[in-house]
Amino acid sequence: MSTLEEAANRTLTIERTFNAPIALVWEVWTQGTHIAQWWAPKGMKVDILEQDFTVGGKWKYSMRMPDGSPFISEGTYLEIVEQEKIVTTADFKPMTQGVELHILFNEDGNKTGFTFHCIHASEEYCRQQEKMGFYNGWGSAFDRLANLLDSQK
Amino acid sequence: MTRRDVFQAIADPVRRDIITLLAKETLTVNSVADKFDVSRPAISKHLKILEECGLIKIQKKGRERYCRIEPKSLIPAFLWVDQYRSLWEQKLDSFEDYLNEIQTRRSSGKAKPQKP
Repeated sequence: MSTLEEAANRTLTIERTFNAPIALVWEVWTQGTHIAQWWAPKGMKVDILEQDFTVGGKWKYSMRMPDGSPFISEGTYLEIVEQEKIVTTADFKPMTQGVELHILFNEDGNKTGFTFHCIHASEEYCRQQEKMGFYNGWGSAFDRLANLLDSQK
Repeated sequence: MTRRDVFQAIADPVRRDIITLLAKETLTVNSVADKFDVSRPAISKHLKILEECGLIKIQKKGRERYCRIEPKSLIPAFLWVDQYRSLWEQKLDSFEDYLNEIQTRRSSGKAKPQKP
């Protein structure tokens, strides 16, 4: 999907192939003890406050920011198809709220195909952008802009 | 009231194609229309919306009207995707690293997860 396509429908899609069997990928993605090991960027600690992996169950993780303030991610599982599909709401407070994640797993021998969709609520997104301001600290976007400008010369 | 911003501009596939075209070169209204199977009035309407959204400028030179892209107006769309892509790419990198690590550990016989 092109950048324009993605921005237009506000769905971010990432595809990967993991070099591990689906049972392990599923386990590591869904169990709290594992999530604690990969959810946070390197060097940061994450506390799993809730991890109720059932339809309607809640998950809530807290990361300690360098300034000491907690960064809470939480959501509710909407759909679970064993070793196939997870749909969950997700809020990342205070940064972004009201997104829906659709995560698809696909067995491929000893590997696992993985598709991740993050669907943003448009109204929420617009409000948030107003709050943050468009021009603050997004280097790579400006790099791309520069390329676009260059290509016009 | 109808929204007139970058997201409205790129919500339509024909308009996205027009933006892609105009990102490469400035074109006249007629030459844009020639590149599509869509009727001329429809293309004119799309161009008008793009102009109202601030994505392009239409300038009259002699008999021709030239459409020029305003790249700055696209920033919000790039920001939106970039911001979230890098966030999730990092998380998935971290997931993949841990996955590889635990696999190595299990195949070497240590069953219990340890902190890195």
